[in-house]
Amino acid sequence: MFFRIMDKDRLPDLVAGLSKGFEVIGPVAKGERFVFERIETPEMLRLDYDTTLLPPKKLFFPPEEQMMRFRVADNEVVDDEVYAAPRVIFGLHPCDINALMLMDNVFLGEYEDPYYRARRESTMLIGVSCKPTDECFCNAWGTDEVHWGFDVFLTDLGDRYFISVRSVKGAELLDEFVATRDADESDTAAFQQHTRNFKNSFTDDLDTSQLPLLLDAKFDDPLWDRLGERCLSCGACSMVCPTCYCFDVTDRLEADGKTGTRVRTWDSCQFTQFAEVAHGQNFRESRASRVKYRYYHKQWGYLSKFERVLCVGCGRCARACLAGISPREVVTALEMGGAS
Amino acid sequence: MSPLSREFTANPYRPWPARITSIMDLTENEKLFEMRIIDDSVREAFQFASGQFVELSLFGVGEAPISISSAPSKQGFIELCVRNAGDVTGALHKKQCGDIVGLRGPFGRGFPFKEMKGHDMLLVAGGLGIAPLKSLINHIHDDRHDFGKVTILYGAKNPSEILFRYQFDMWKHRDDFELILTVDEPDDTWGDEVGRVTRLFDMIDIDPTNTYGAICGPPVMYRFVIDEMRKKGMDADKIYVSFERRMKCGIGKCGHCGVGHQYACIDGPVFNYWEAMNLQEAI
Ligand SMILES: Cc1cc2nc3c(=O)[nH]c(=O)nc-3n(C[C@H](O)[C@H](O)[C@H](O)COP(=O)(O)OP(=O)(O)OC[C@H]3O[C@@H](n4cnc5c(N)ncnc54)[C@H](O)[C@@H]3O)c2cc1C
Ligand code: SF4
Ligand code: SF4
Ligand code: FES
Repeated sequence: MFFRIMDKDRLPDLVAGLSKGFEVIGPVAKGERFVFERIETPEMLRLDYDTTLLPPKKLFFPPEEQMMRFRVADNEVVDDEVYAAPRVIFGLHPCDINALMLMDNVFLGEYEDPYYRARRESTMLIGVSCKPTDECFCNAWGTDEVHWGFDVFLTDLGDRYFISVRSVKGAELLDEFVATRDADESDTAAFQQHTRNFKNSFTDDLDTSQLPLLLDAKFDDPLWDRLGERCLSCGACSMVCPTCYCFDVTDRLEADGKTGTRVRTWDSCQFTQFAEVAHGQNFRESRASRVKYRYYHKQWGYLSKFERVLCVGCGRCARACLAGISPREVVTALEMGGAS
Repeated sequence: MSPLSREFTANPYRPWPARITSIMDLTENEKLFEMRIIDDSVREAFQFASGQFVELSLFGVGEAPISISSAPSKQGFIELCVRNAGDVTGALHKKQCGDIVGLRGPFGRGFPFKEMKGHDMLLVAGGLGIAPLKSLINHIHDDRHDFGKVTILYGAKNPSEILFRYQFDMWKHRDDFELILTVDEPDDTWGDEVGRVTRLFDMIDIDPTNTYGAICGPPVMYRFVIDEMRKKGMDADKIYVSFERRMKCGIGKCGHCGVGHQYACIDGPVFNYWEAMNLQEAI
């Protein structure tokens, strides 16, 4: 990796330049909160955002997407092309970049998903450094750092950005659209100071040392029943989670009944019917079993295949949950001996 | 916006058109469909193992995972034994011979046929669980000299729900298969056993050190059948079970089929019982 320095007041140049060749998407203010949306003018881009309501997964795996158009009469696919315009997502935090890499394992592994792949391939990622919020616990998983999976990454050094350049395309973009210079010794020193401050700004160090062993050992712990009593099965935790990838598939007919579209929509293991099969058999009928499954799969199921937990500690699920259930609470309760 | 290049075959969600070439009524609720993938090269390349499944696709209605019932030794077509249980399976039941449906697959891990070869077999089916086991039974039949003693226990609720009765009635008189049928609720026509399939274990004689077990049936059945197999002295790692879970993709993405820390669609649906013991809530 090599490093460049860009003065902060050059940022609008970069955004304006990128807009000429790409759809530029980034965090913009929406009321008190932020969302990833199209950047029409450089001022819209709010790199000082804390977190977004929905994670960037919506840009690769939309809440609802057409998989194919079909004809009923001969059961034929009419169209399953994936349309993806060249895009830049500007301003991803390390957790969200790490989350995309976890999604890649699922969608780009065995049986590659062409819809996800097309969007991923047509999109460049520009990361930006962040400040931990009260809900963040990325440091517990090491996802507060990101070493690859982006094109360029901007670390905010006050009056300038320390830019890590990861990909050839990223280097080309910088060359084309904005004036930068080599990093010198004082830049590197400032970068190190920034990194140190960042690491020290996490006030809470969540103990995850006994996971995932405890998930099996404490499968019957009363903790799960207590959580089940609080959970509303609303599924909000899954929707806002940058690493939850479950989906449902449905066919929608046009009015003429002759053609239609097969669409997929976000789904959640917290919904009652998620594991139901014919004849009313439901493998996770109780709320307790469903809440438990969300953690069991994230901290052990996924890990058993890909050697990482399926959580980046972004805290979105904790913010979204009306019942106040958070991974921090669950992990702590497990580690502490089930008492919550 | 321009479409990105994509190979025709590269979309694992895209079903292959297949023609229904024969339909047989098995019971009031179950039919046996023979299907042929229309594209010659895809049909010829379609290789599967007993225990694997396909996603049956009826555009406008949806998809359903269905075990392949025919044996891998028969090529060029597959048979699906389907119970009318809802939207997709109900719509399939309305189809006629010659109609076109969609198929994706084959998916999942099937029974380890090569490993089972050279051994005795004890196959236990309950209800519709006979569908995937039928493939294994027929495969063993087509390769009979490679197996030792073959015992089949099959139970259903009542005589009218016994599937493939035409074939099994003939097999009862063969001495190369020991086949015992049982029903919970017999009627006047019934001359076979009565009661749960687990009762039949008293009637059979197996060599536990040399026998592989295969089980498929309703979820409640597994624990009891496994207990009987273990009582006979069979090793946990010589018993194979096939699980049904809800499935929306068949390829390890949609998350619906989670069983313990694994996915039934790609890690199963056939699991070694020793592995299945390590899957929470599996049995
Ligand atoms: C690996 C596997 C092999 C199977 N093999 C056979 C077989 O050989 N023959 C056979 O008749 N059936 C088989 N099934 C069951 C069959 O898939 C379901 O009966 C079918 O999906 C129901 O779909 P439907 O649209 O007809 O019903 P729906 O109208 O969708 O629903 C009826 C009921 O089925 C449940 N259901 C819906 N979708 C699914 C799904 N994708 N998977 C499981 N349950 C679902 C619903 O919760 C509901 O309770 C198998 C299932 C699996 C997982
Ligand atoms: S957001 Fe909270 S209440 Fe809703 S399903 Fe998730 S854990 Fe349950
Ligand atoms: S589980 Fe919660 S904290 Fe972890 S990645 Fe998902 S939303 Fe973020
Ligand atoms: S059926 Fe979709 S993950 Fe198994």
